[in-house]
Amino acid sequence: MAIALEIKDLVKKYKDFEAVAGLSFSVGEGEIFALVGPNGVGKSTTLKMTATILTPTAGSISVFGRDTTRDAHAVREMISYLPEEAGAYKNLTGREYLDFMAMVFLKDRARAAAAVAEGERLSGLGARLGEKIKTYSKGMARKLLLARAVMIKPRLAILDEPTSGLDIVNAYEIRKTIKQLAAGGMTFLISSHNMAEIEFLSGRIAVINKGKLLACDTPAALKAKFATADLEEVFIKLTQ
Amino acid sequence: MNIFFILLKKEMKELVTRQLLFTIAVTLLVFHVIGKSVGSHNKSSAARNTIVLLDLDRSELSKRVIAAVTAGKTTLKPAGEATIAAALAAPENAGENSFMVIPAGLEAEVTAGRASSIEYYSRFRKQASGLGPAIAASRIRRTEQAATAEISAYLLGRGLPSLAPAFLRDPAPAKEFAVIDGRTAQVSLSQVIGFIQSQSFFFPVAVFFIVILSAQMIMTAVASEKENKTLETLLSSPLDRRLLVMSKLAASCLIATALSGAYMLGMRSFMAGVTGLGADPSVAVAAAGPALAALGLTMTSSGYFLIGLSVLFCILCALSIAFILGILSEDVKSIQTMMTPLMMPLMLAYLLPIFIDMSTAHAGLKFLLYAIPFTHAFMAPQNVMMGNISQVWWGIAYQAAVFAAFVTLAARLFSGDALLTLRLKWPGMK
Ligand SMILES: Nc1ncnc2c1ncn2[C@@H]1O[C@H](COP(=O)(O)OP(=O)(O)O)[C@@H](O)[C@H]1O
Ligand SMILES: [Mg+2]
Repeated sequence: MAIALEIKDLVKKYKDFEAVAGLSFSVGEGEIFALVGPNGVGKSTTLKMTATILTPTAGSISVFGRDTTRDAHAVREMISYLPEEAGAYKNLTGREYLDFMAMVFLKDRARAAAAVAEGERLSGLGARLGEKIKTYSKGMARKLLLARAVMIKPRLAILDEPTSGLDIVNAYEIRKTIKQLAAGGMTFLISSHNMAEIEFLSGRIAVINKGKLLACDTPAALKAKFATADLEEVFIKLTQ
Repeated sequence: MNIFFILLKKEMKELVTRQLLFTIAVTLLVFHVIGKSVGSHNKSSAARNTIVLLDLDRSELSKRVIAAVTAGKTTLKPAGEATIAAALAAPENAGENSFMVIPAGLEAEVTAGRASSIEYYSRFRKQASGLGPAIAASRIRRTEQAATAEISAYLLGRGLPSLAPAFLRDPAPAKEFAVIDGRTAQVSLSQVIGFIQSQSFFFPVAVFFIVILSAQMIMTAVASEKENKTLETLLSSPLDRRLLVMSKLAASCLIATALSGAYMLGMRSFMAGVTGLGADPSVAVAAAGPALAALGLTMTSSGYFLIGLSVLFCILCALSIAFILGILSEDVKSIQTMMTPLMMPLMLAYLLPIFIDMSTAHAGLKFLLYAIPFTHAFMAPQNVMMGNISQVWWGIAYQAAVFAAFVTLAARLFSGDALLTLRLKWPGMK
């Protein structure tokens, strides 16, 4: 299995505050890899550095062998990033938004049209795509944004809290979409503060606290190691 | 009753934030600065409460007129010259703006029941701004009234009731002249003042609102992209980041162009009304059209173009600053407070020239005002009208340089961590 993402001794300081304090892990191609931990432990910061919009204070990130700092443009050609609690342009319709974003990422009419068709299918929004985004519910907007992120077929999709704040039906649909795409070979780096949920989605998880990696394995292996049926209990035991 | 006060208290707590207090404090500071500089400025120019006098009659009546005017606390400075042209040109009168001519034969004429007239000349300076001309005009008006009353009293005292009452009321009506850049025309002083004030009050107000409007627009656009995280998404795309900055600025340039175009159209129709070209005769000032033209107070199409260019660059400067303030805003809500650094220089640039004569202002004050890029656009109509074309061009060049500097800064902010990590906070912002 090819290495999709390799993070080595990653550090990020905001002024004097160390949000990420020496993180190392690697993700294989086609894997769904999740950073888990409560709010404020440095998950989003790590994802932003992987998405090339923040520069690491120390350490390195490489996406399919390309460095995010030195070779940012090449990395941007391979990734797609969905920020936490992201919004869209409220006065565009769902379809116009997909059109616009497809052109931004692909710059080619024919490829963009194919991507938009895929995005429309993945969003599951049907006729509502012709309405303005400001009329969408939270779940609809998130499905549109996820469709936007994956319709361009990135090699690595970076999704920050993709299901946070959604009801169970919407969350379930989004998890299903992610799993299908991963089966097709797309790699996912996602984050979640909901450990109970992430168990059903990801192959391996990295448990993070205060910017440091506490453990990195499959949920099943972690539960076996700490002799518990509950992933949340694993975190409690790790931080004690 | 109780519940009303509980509601009122809650409303006040919501409204009176430290941000509001900060904004009020800054506003007070601006007015304090203006008050201080206007005060000291006026003290230094108060010395010039004089009218240069050419008494060509040298009669008992002219002496009485002079005494009456002087009693009204106006200083009359006798001129050595024999004609008004010589007096205007004389080096010792270089700093004087008000002249009074008592014609030869005044006493003889009015005593014989024939109308005479006293002439008043007001000189307007190219670079002048502020309240000086208005103050000088009111001084002349007082002098006119004192002179008229004295001549009329003189005739009545001589027991000449056989003359017509209308003549007795004003035996020597005042004739007002304006002098600009060596040109002289007989025109009512209040018409010239009204015209000049429309340049220094009315047009800057329009520019002021256009600037605020467009700055608010771009700040909201940038801050809401930031708040929605749509900006983060674009930054993670293979799109060239310079394109992002450029497209945003180009969009606002287009808006700025449309706004300054609208401004020029408004100005044209205003000027047409005033100078009687597109003629609305009901405008009081319209009658003065030919006289204003004789004074050189007209606008050519290249003049309009120049003013439009200056306003355009003024808006561009404001937009580039607003763009950066938008980048540094936490969210859309904080925009009102984030406008403060833009509002302060705008208010100074607008208000100071209204009260202060830029041609005689303290060097430090002048420097402050000309350092504010907006000042140049505010003063452009007056400068074009008065023929200070090179100053307008320098202003435009300066505005262009400021614009380029801020665009560069904006592009740099866009390419680093700053966009995500840098937040500008004023004291009192949470
Ligand atoms: N722009 C920033 N400036 C300063 N501190 C920040 C900034 N962004 C995040 N932080 C801090 O860094 C820590 C990690 O934040 P984040 O990566 O968003 O955590 P998570 O996504 O795990 O909730 C938090 O303590 C947060 O307050
Ligand atoms: Mg987060």
